[in-house]
Amino acid sequence: MKVKQFSLILLTLVFVFGCSSNDKSEKPKIAVVVSTLNNPWFVMLAESAAKNAEKLGYEAKIFDSQNNPAVESDNFENLISSGYDAILLNPTDSDGSISNVLKAKTAGIPVFCMDREINADDAATSQILSDNYSGCVSIGIEFVKELKEKGNYVEILGLVGDNNTWARSGGFHSVVDKFPNLKMVAQQSGNFDRNKAMEVLETIMQANPDIDAVFCGNDAMAMGAFQALQSAGKAYKVKIFGFDGAGDVIEKIREKKIVATGMQFPVVMAQTAAQYADEYFKGRRIFPQRVPVEVELVNAANIKDY
Amino acid sequence: MKKKYAYITLAILIVAFLGYQSVYFKKLNVVKEAKKENFNFKAYADSIYYKGILKSKKNIYLNDLIALVQANPETAFKNHGNRLGIGNSAYFMIKSTGKILDIKDGIYTIADEKNGIVYIDTKYIFGNAIRDASGLVKLTDFKTNAEFNKVSESLNDIIRNEVLPEEIKKVKIGDSISFSGAIKLSKKQNLFKDIIITPSQIKLQ
Repeated sequence: MKVKQFSLILLTLVFVFGCSSNDKSEKPKIAVVVSTLNNPWFVMLAESAAKNAEKLGYEAKIFDSQNNPAVESDNFENLISSGYDAILLNPTDSDGSISNVLKAKTAGIPVFCMDREINADDAATSQILSDNYSGCVSIGIEFVKELKEKGNYVEILGLVGDNNTWARSGGFHSVVDKFPNLKMVAQQSGNFDRNKAMEVLETIMQANPDIDAVFCGNDAMAMGAFQALQSAGKAYKVKIFGFDGAGDVIEKIREKKIVATGMQFPVVMAQTAAQYADEYFKGRRIFPQRVPVEVELVNAANIKDY
Repeated sequence: MKKKYAYITLAILIVAFLGYQSVYFKKLNVVKEAKKENFNFKAYADSIYYKGILKSKKNIYLNDLIALVQANPETAFKNHGNRLGIGNSAYFMIKSTGKILDIKDGIYTIADEKNGIVYIDTKYIFGNAIRDASGLVKLTDFKTNAEFNKVSESLNDIIRNEVLPEEIKKVKIGDSISFSGAIKLSKKQNLFKDIIITPSQIKLQ
């Protein structure tokens, strides 16, 4: 009887410790949770993050939150229960994503935010963010100079729940609002989406046919605005400004159809986030809470460099 | 029996009175606004400008900086530049002297004694140039980037609206001035022509 009991205990121990040592020999898994895969810019961010994680020797998988905090929450629950070891997150909402990040933190999983900021400085392990504000200050100065300090303009905002939307708008207005002859005739959200921005601008132009410029919170919307203006035969009259540094907008700047954009560096952000996760696995615990990544103004004067 | 009802009514009235006095409701947007305005950015920026920037001994002479960047960019960026996070450029707080050659649309063209022509832009004092060049404000001092950027806006407002109008009233074309301010240099840069300075101070010599 005693031998039987002893064998049973031994078997249980072998099973428990055997499984545990097996787990540790597996590669750590990194989840890349991205706000949307419906926008080429975020596809690039997610793929770069996954590729960099794989290059560092980890298993990586991309999760699409479809711009919906509820989907993001489901993603977090799935990946926490699936035993992921780190999360590289591009959040859907600066407030709405905090609880998801905290859930991971409670589970002992480090979260490195990329590109979008969450409104908490004690939830994520680190946040690697474009310096949207400074980038849009430069665009604002370019805007004022191009319009010679007067005219009517439209602002097409990104997602209203995203901090980047307001950082960009804030940087732009910190300059433009000091020039009283520049009048914003409409400000509306285009959800960072090309088609939505096109529809929004078409509707705005019905009430405000005489506009001189459009400032868009990202390049996808700048392309949407360009399409709307082209259909209305105003593409050469109305000056368009974007933000991102997307390939199609860079080409339009070269063709003098769009005035300027802010060049972001998604690859640098993704690379830094993956690098930080790697350092975390190797024992580093102190990270800067926010790491701004420089945004460069691209216009006709320096387009040859891009 | 009537007495019992009177006691109950009195007790209910007391509880209702205390309850009313101990709980109050405010609109959420009013609370959010109050929270935002809790920190006095103007007072903070005043102290950074008057007690920090104006009294700083760290400003480097423009000609010394250019010579150092040309000879040893790593040391120049490390010892005198300030870049928050990741990027190719950094802000530097410089000082120099020169003669005003032209004033046009807020741009002062200066024949700098040792650096040739430089420009002081008194019109577009925006962004984080002054805050970052000063190196006096840390990102970690503020909970969000939005708050951190508000420091720059307050600092820029002080220079643009309070300091410079008084100082530039006293100068005209042909005057010799001393000046200090922020410049942005890139690590990729090897030409130092057309330097634009975001001023923190302009003084008639």
